[in-house]
Parts: sequence; C-alpha cells; structure tokens
Amino acid sequence: MPATVEVELFGLPRLYAGAERYEVPAGTLAEVLAALAEALPGLSPAIICDGRPTELVRVALDGRAMIEAPDHRLHGGEVLVLVSAQAGG
Amino acid sequence: MGLFRQILRVHVSEVGKGLECARVPLDDAVYRDFVGGVGLGAYLLWRYAPAGVDPLAPEAPLIIALAPLLGTPLTTTAKLAVVCKSPLTSRISDGLSSSRFALAAKRLGVDAIVITGAAAELSILHLDEELGRCRLEPCRALAGASPAEVGAALPGCHVAAIGRAGENRVRFASIANDGRHAGRGGAGAVLGAKRIKAITVRGRAQPALADPQAVRERARDLAARSLGAATDKYRRLGTVANVETFDRLRILPARNFQAVSIGRRKAKRLAPEGLKAAAGHVREGCAGCTIGCDHRFGGTRLEYESLFALGPLCAVDEPQRVLAAAAACDRLGLDTISAGGTLAFAMECCERGLLPWPLAFGDDLVPWLERIAARDDLGDRLAEGSRRLAAEVGQGSERFACQVKGLELPGYEPRTMQTTALGLAVAARGADHNRSGAYQADLRPGVDRFAAELEATPLRVIETEDHAALLDSLILCKFLRGAIARPWEESAELLAMTAGLDLDAAALRATCARITGLRHLFNRREGWTIAEDTLPERFFAEPLDGGEVVDRELLRAMVGRYYRERGYTAEGLLDDAALGRLGLRSLAPRLPPAAAADP
Repeated sequence: MPATVEVELFGLPRLYAGAERYEVPAGTLAEVLAALAEALPGLSPAIICDGRPTELVRVALDGRAMIEAPDHRLHGGEVLVLVSAQAGG
Repeated sequence: MGLFRQILRVHVSEVGKGLECARVPLDDAVYRDFVGGVGLGAYLLWRYAPAGVDPLAPEAPLIIALAPLLGTPLTTTAKLAVVCKSPLTSRISDGLSSSRFALAAKRLGVDAIVITGAAAELSILHLDEELGRCRLEPCRALAGASPAEVGAALPGCHVAAIGRAGENRVRFASIANDGRHAGRGGAGAVLGAKRIKAITVRGRAQPALADPQAVRERARDLAARSLGAATDKYRRLGTVANVETFDRLRILPARNFQAVSIGRRKAKRLAPEGLKAAAGHVREGCAGCTIGCDHRFGGTRLEYESLFALGPLCAVDEPQRVLAAAAACDRLGLDTISAGGTLAFAMECCERGLLPWPLAFGDDLVPWLERIAARDDLGDRLAEGSRRLAAEVGQGSERFACQVKGLELPGYEPRTMQTTALGLAVAARGADHNRSGAYQADLRPGVDRFAAELEATPLRVIETEDHAALLDSLILCKFLRGAIARPWEESAELLAMTAGLDLDAAALRATCARITGLRHLFNRREGWTIAEDTLPERFFAEPLDGGEVVDRELLRAMVGRYYRERGYTAEGLLDDAALGRLGLRSLAPRLPPAAAADP
C-alpha cells in the first residue's frame, strides 16, 4: 500500500477546494501539493501555484511547524494542515 | 481629503454656562512626526493630558483623532481613532472604528477633536463646523439607551454614542458609531464620566488634496486590489473562520486559557457555516470600503475576537447564545474581549470556590452583561475588569486573571504562540493584538511558534508593531495589508498625494518608531515600569496538554532585548540619546524628573 499524506483544509483553502480533507501520495511538498491541486482544481492557482503554496495559505506540518520548502520530504503518515495566511480578527 | 492642519478643542462645562470650543492650529511638523490616527492621537494625549490624571476626571482628555486618508476615495479609510488614558489600565488606550461618523467628523474642518471637562447632566454634544453653533443638549430621556437607540432618536445626524455601560463608567465600556465600536480600554467610560451620551458632527469643510488626479487613480487601483484573493478570507468567510483553524492549530483560548481547543465538533458549530445554519447570514461593509467583511448572523455583527471571548473562553458553544451575548455587548456598549475575559476569570473563580456566585462556565452571558453595564450588585465588581477583581478576590487568583497591564488577552494562546507572548507583554496598550500583530509572525514559515528566540523574536515584534503603527496612523484597514506588497513605499506615496507630506519610506519607518516611542513615553510618565511587561503566572507555570509553557526567564530576557533593539535602555527607559534619535527630545521637558533623568 503506497504511503500517503493526509491533507486537512481550513478557511480559504477549504473554500476554494470545496473539500475538508483529502489524501494524496507521499513525496516532496511540491509533489504533494501538485497532486492535491490536480485532485481539487479549485485550489489552483490562488492557493497552490506550480506545486507551491501562494501567499494566501500556510501549510502546517502535523498542525505545528509552517513549511514551504518545495523539496521538504514527506514520507507518509504526516498530516498537512492548510490554513488561510491571514490570522487577524 | 488630506489635512486641515488644525484641531478642535472642546471644553464641556455646565449646561447653559457655555461650551468652550476653539480651533487650534497644528504645525506641519506634527503631521510629519506623528501622521494622524493613533500617532496624532498619542501626540495630543501627551500634550493635553495632565501627568498622572485620573482617566475619569474632567480634565482627562478624550481625543477623536482623524487621519490624512480619511475622506478620500481610497478604500477602507473611513476610520477614526479614539485615544485616551485608559480607566482599565491607566496607560494609553486607542481604539479604531470605521463609520460615516468618521467621514462627517472630518468635514468639521479639523484633524482631531480634543474633549475635556464634564457636563452637569447627561447631554448630547453637538459639534458644528460653525463654532457658534456647537452646543450641549441635555438628554435625560436617553439614559440607558443603546447606541442604536440614540442614533434613532437623532435622525439625520452622524452620531457616536455610549450605552448604559459607558454611562455607568464600566472600565471596559466602548464608544459606538454606526454600530462599530472603539472598544478596547474603556473610552466609553471616559465619555460617560464627562456625562456625554453622544456626539454629533456636522460640517461641509473639504481640504484640497495635494494631487487629486493621483489619488483618483490610486483609489481605482486599490479598490481593484481590495477585491482580489488577498482579502477573500475577510470578504467570503469573515474572521469568525479563525475559530475552527485556531482550534486545529491549538491556539484557540478556551475556559479562561485553561485549554487550547474545544474539539472539532464544537468548533465547527461556531464556524461560519455553523453560524449561518443557526441564525442566517448577511454581509455588509463599512463606510467607504470595497472589501465588505462585515458578516452578520441573525442580524448581529460578529468578529473572531468577540466570538472567541463570548464563546470558547467562557465555554459557551451554542451559536445562538454567543450571538445573543455579542448583541448585548453592542446594545450596552461593552468591549467584548474584556467582557468575556472578565466573566471567564470570574467563572474560574467560582469553579475553584473562590467566589460564591451563581456563575459557571457555559452559562448564559446576557444576564451577567446586563449586570455589568448596570453596575448592579455583582456586576459592579465585574465592571472593574479582571485585574481589579483578582486583587479583590485574592487567594492566588491573580495568576489566572488573564490580562496584561489590566487589559484582557485577545484570542491567541501565548504558550503556543511565543512571538505573540512577547508582543502581548510589551505592548503599550496592554494585551494587544491591534497595535502589535505578533501573531502574524508566529504563523510564518521558518518561525517556530512553540519556541522563542532571544535575538530574533524581539525583532519580529518590533516589525509588526511598526507596521501596525503605520496602518493605524494613515489610517488604512489592516484587512487590506495583504494587498499592499510595499507598505512603506506605498504609504509614503499616499501621504504625498493626499496631504502633501514629503516622507520617503525610511522617514516613515522612523516616524512609526517615534509613534511607538511616544506611546511608551506616555506610559512611562503615567508610572509604567518594566515589571508590567510580563504575562499572568498561568502562562509560565501551567503547561498545556502538550507541555507548552512560556519560559519566564527567556521572556524577561527578550523584553530587555526588545527595548535595546528599539534603542532604549534594557530597562525600557528612553535616555537622552534615544529621545534625540526618535525626535522626541522636544517633548522630554514634560517628563517628571525621575524619567527625565533616566540613565
């Protein structure tokens, strides 16, 4: 069974994707986000552009560290939490 | 609309015995040094507030500071700042709100209104461009009325008003205009202490723009940018969407900061879709704004901060109950964060057996908000805010009174947002998410929000403070910040084309450091010491379920570092060199001897 990464979507990413969660094959962050954008085309290009998160979104690894390096390796079993970049209120 | 280069001074005295109104010119240098909004307000507070004044005394000024961009076609600029010495914190307080009242106030032909004195009875202060027509009107019949009811009683007028809480000098009472509130710090109590129920403004003045064509072109451009993806969150979801996100990231304060999550199911009920399902939804916008972020559920305007404070913080998870509490705060004229924060503290006191009150987490807040506004029995004690209530309760309760400098914390958990922890500790206004946007830094890639860094964290706080000082002095809505890629350069251009102020980006950065410095200097004059720049004991001593705490020694070291990076002494004092660097030396003679002689 291929290793997968679970993606949870909140705020704008959820609004654009029309989905709350999705599972994609593990790989680099760029590969994972590209696969996600292909599966949920509403995310492209405002939220994910060319496999990279745009300035509107933050990607929290397991809900903790915000990551953005395209070559960040995800081995499977991780949870990526996509949230709106703007936090104010 | 640029600037008028004059302010209106109003001294309120007994009805029938005259209202002293005078225009006072301001030198161009004041605008170059402090711009407008919170910057100009800080300057005027420094100038007109007697040192050590009781915030509720007649001589304490209430300042309505307008701004250079107000009244122009530039989007999101219909804003004013209400500045005073806070009756809650005894430190500087400034609150912003957007309204047609702000637009109308500018047409008085002044850049600020400074109100001192007190009326003999509850009155309406009518301000007219023609000073001879300014007057006080007794309004006993409006006692206890909501700001909306006051507005309805004054058809055709642009009105700023207080509710029952302001009349009763609740220390966290707000001033409402067009349903928006200058909420934090208790400006409503300051106006109430002057026995002014409402202010109306009427005028037709219109100063020339420095470059009208450039302003028109920029207004079109900015409006187009304001409708882009960068503001989509505010427009399509509203800030209430933060609840579910923050719950997932473990930064949502719950049960008086005893927890950082209320669970996915409850968070979803308080998310936009849950609120819509419970109460229906319409979206509106502030005056002169193209974003339209004003989301109303069941007719009640709701932002994240109100939702967090009147919901998870008090363990209230029924959407209808939260909306009823928010509506009550609007009606009574209460700051939602301090109201929720004080009630959450009292709930925990009751839970621990420290207060024998019939109050528990999850209770309906509306009857308690009514008691606070009326200062009725137990409400009288809650109306003093959590710091004073904790001092009265004692028994160690101070450690979980979640306030800084007396101001209750906004909806960001310091233990899982360590840049925010420092930002809250050093902010001049007290626990502050408006003049210090440190939470933004915590959610950036490359920042470990669970671990502060002695060198980097203070710099991040300074950056967000100065950026806030910029936007809050222009005044430009922070919700537009994502659409402005070069804020310093573009702001300098905006000031040049509107007000004719010649400031480049570097000069503007220096100006914002000066504004932050003056706000700090005011606090110093009013008795601030570095011991205030800390957090409640809970955040040092009570780990979250993931083991997170704020490191007390590291926070203390970062506070010192923050001041050194600002060019102050490590004790947070502005020596002569620092005053000179900031361009504040000319104000220094007004410092009391101890501060003037700061080493």
